[in-house]
Amino acid sequence: MHLTRRAVTFGSLAMGGAALGPRQAAAQTGAQMGAQTGAQQSLYEAAKKEGQVAWYSGILDQPLCDRVGAAFTQQHPGIRVNAIKTTSEVAFQRVMQDLNGGAVQADVFTTTDASHMSYLVGKGQLVKYVPENAKGMVPALQNFDPQGYYHVSWVGLVTIVYNAAKVKPEDAPKDWMDLTDPKWKNQICFGSPNYSGLIGDWTVAMTEKYKWEYFEKLNKLNPLIGRSIDDAVTTLNSGERMVAAGNPASSLRSAAKGNPLAVNYPTSFTVADFSPSAILKGSRSPNAAKLFMEFLAGPEYSKILTDSFEQSLRADVPPPHGAKSLTELTVFMPTLANIEKELPGCKSRWRDTFGT
Amino acid sequence: MSVAQSAPAAFTGRPGALARLRRLEPASLVWLVALAGLAALVAVPLLRLLVSSFQDTDTGAFTLGNYATAYGHLRDVLALGNSLLYAAEVTLVSVVLAVPIAWGIARTDMPAKGFIRAMILGAFITPPYLGAIGWILLGGPNAGWLNRVWMALTGSGTGFMNVYSFGGLVFVTALYAFPYIFVFTAAALELVSTEMEEAANILGAGGARTVLRITLPLVTPAIIGGAIVVFLDTVALFGTPAIIALPARVRVMTLVLWQFFEFPVRAEAAAAYAVPLVLITLALFWAQRMVLGRRGYVALTGKGGSRRLARLGPWRFLILGYALLVVALAVLLPFAALGQAAFSKAWGQGFSWGNLTLGNFRALLADDNSRQTIAHSFTYSAASATLAVALALIVAYIVSRRLVRGGAVLSLLCMAPLVIPGIVLAIAFYATYAPPPIALYGTASILVLGFATRFLPIAYVNCMAALRSLNPEMEEAVRILGGGRLRALARVVVPLLKKNLVGCWLLVFIPATRELSTAIFLVGARTRVISVMMLDLSENGSFETLAALGFFLLGVTILIVALGYRLLGRDFMLRRS
Repeated sequence: MHLTRRAVTFGSLAMGGAALGPRQAAAQTGAQMGAQTGAQQSLYEAAKKEGQVAWYSGILDQPLCDRVGAAFTQQHPGIRVNAIKTTSEVAFQRVMQDLNGGAVQADVFTTTDASHMSYLVGKGQLVKYVPENAKGMVPALQNFDPQGYYHVSWVGLVTIVYNAAKVKPEDAPKDWMDLTDPKWKNQICFGSPNYSGLIGDWTVAMTEKYKWEYFEKLNKLNPLIGRSIDDAVTTLNSGERMVAAGNPASSLRSAAKGNPLAVNYPTSFTVADFSPSAILKGSRSPNAAKLFMEFLAGPEYSKILTDSFEQSLRADVPPPHGAKSLTELTVFMPTLANIEKELPGCKSRWRDTFGT
Repeated sequence: MSVAQSAPAAFTGRPGALARLRRLEPASLVWLVALAGLAALVAVPLLRLLVSSFQDTDTGAFTLGNYATAYGHLRDVLALGNSLLYAAEVTLVSVVLAVPIAWGIARTDMPAKGFIRAMILGAFITPPYLGAIGWILLGGPNAGWLNRVWMALTGSGTGFMNVYSFGGLVFVTALYAFPYIFVFTAAALELVSTEMEEAANILGAGGARTVLRITLPLVTPAIIGGAIVVFLDTVALFGTPAIIALPARVRVMTLVLWQFFEFPVRAEAAAAYAVPLVLITLALFWAQRMVLGRRGYVALTGKGGSRRLARLGPWRFLILGYALLVVALAVLLPFAALGQAAFSKAWGQGFSWGNLTLGNFRALLADDNSRQTIAHSFTYSAASATLAVALALIVAYIVSRRLVRGGAVLSLLCMAPLVIPGIVLAIAFYATYAPPPIALYGTASILVLGFATRFLPIAYVNCMAALRSLNPEMEEAVRILGGGRLRALARVVVPLLKKNLVGCWLLVFIPATRELSTAIFLVGARTRVISVMMLDLSENGSFETLAALGFFLLGVTILIVALGYRLLGRDFMLRRS
């Protein structure tokens, strides 16, 4: 299988489906929530007998996963959600151990690393299911897996983040190349592709657009290299550094409390990473799992996401305050095949360039 | 036993087994249960780990490829070397931090002992993640508080310290590891009777000479035991290196290990990378034997003993000053820095009256989920500590009194779980305990067993050191008077080592409350613990709540410790004059 690299402009793709204003969209959302299709009704009847659904989540945090579970139960009384949030690496290892031990514990598995899914598809361990609600998702998020095994449940973005108490908006970097300006010497920070999938995508994307030179220029500025993409929030708030490649969701969440963080969506493109969910074959609650997949593709779930400054997956759920919707952004996302091909080399060069 | 009873056995022609069973002391049953427990808890997961290191990721067929993957790159081998150097330096610094304070508290009339003891355990309960961030706030080259003060005072353009360095990494790690050595050493010093010190004095040795030649050498097994734990713990540490070593561009083994869990996932290669670490444990045992040799370290004998606190006069303020400096570096300063986050609405704004709040604490305690999570952590850790201490004491007793053959193997089993990085060991735990037949998936028991196994080495080292200080003559007296081994253990050993055992319990309890890598593998939907909650808070950027949680843990631990020592009662060996 060879997928070509693609740069996706969400705006142009999404216009057809999302030509509604936020207000109209909200109204439509409300209507959708009340009415479920006949297929979902019969799923619900079967799922009620199962009584619960177990969810291994590598995304969000535990309280938010619990909120998703509670909202699901409210919509589908009688079906409890047992959500276990860990890191994607741990969730995947648990899935693998469960499969080896012959006792599949999770019905639905969500990971930030899509290669986990292609591995499980290859092993024949996933159930093919395309949620009806996927039709309402932003078009570019649809058909992430053309075979229909896994579907996007979280979108991670990499943007420019800065400490607004120390950097004036007019001085802040606007685009990726601005980060290489010598004035940011000793003032820039970012994570490492060896520890963060999102930074891995960013590394592949930057290499593709600006060649490896980009990182050599950054290295001259003595960057502070952390682990996760979200380290930027702590480092910028502490005042130790001023600008970063960071996650707009965690930055805006911290800014909403009053912290001096601001986000610039780069003018040329924002880097994106899609985190998929899938149903595990042989799990205890296959019907409840399908219903839960419907829920993750539906509007209620996206509203929970935006309440917490995460990206909405649907055109009919407006973006969180201060954030841009996927339809407004020019997003660049290396394909899974491309990442699997390029990332190992990038990680190795990263160690050569940055020594870490 | 009557002759009539044993006769049928002789007739059936199977005298051996049955007769031996008859002669069994009840104690032997306890030994058997303990050994079976050790096999199930430690041997099975370790064996599983060993087997998986030879298995192909996809087919499960036998292969040496994992070892080639793990050790095929020079820089990954060098990272292992870095780890050993790092652990050695941390151990050295920890000894320097811990031993003088332990001596001051256990053997002198130093003031403010309760406060110092509480603060040291406070340092211990501080999750490495939080301690490291505290030190980044203090010693960051651009904005660290200490550096800013330095720049303001000297007018210099740069700070005087950079926490992002190998030295910074060692320093910060040692600040949160030295309590291991402190607790071991203080407990041992409390058992040393004054007679030998007095003998040295009579023979003309001065105070300092007595301490260096008599008192400290007598507690060498405890110091070395603590040092071994610090060394092994540091080799396997991930939290502090992730925050400090990575930006400092220092590669240590646990950071390399992480790459095996990223795409393409090779958990088997991670196992192969970790298995040889058990050799480090073996090497440490060998080193321990070289140092301790055949010398005796018996401090408690049947003749009784008494202890007199050294009167230091004005010097007692010097030792207090040293202790205060250490706890300031480990707790007071970092928590002052973290306080800015814990009591702020938005910590990035810096200090202002309008930004002050107790809301982070209120949010923490008002939320049902987080209250339950905190309660889980404390109860599971307490159960794990009790289990680990009981098991360690029994096995240590069997080994030190040579009740069975193969003591060295038992020792290795008891020590191995500490040096293997948590994430690798956790997979083996999960594979052993979660599926049928044990089928503990999602239960509290699986966490308790996991924590007890992970920290068994700490309890074991401590019990071995304590038993070394105890002259077997007292147990022999019990036996001569007709008591069994169990009676000797319950009525003589445990009461005499009361303080050691409580210290030992704390040394398992506290790391269990902050253990992440085992917990994250074993938690279920209704068995969440604090460390997992902290990971969430750190990942979603809720640093204010995280810092508040750190303060809360500090307060609760100090309370538990204060209460524990009060319940233990008066020090029976302390001579009142």
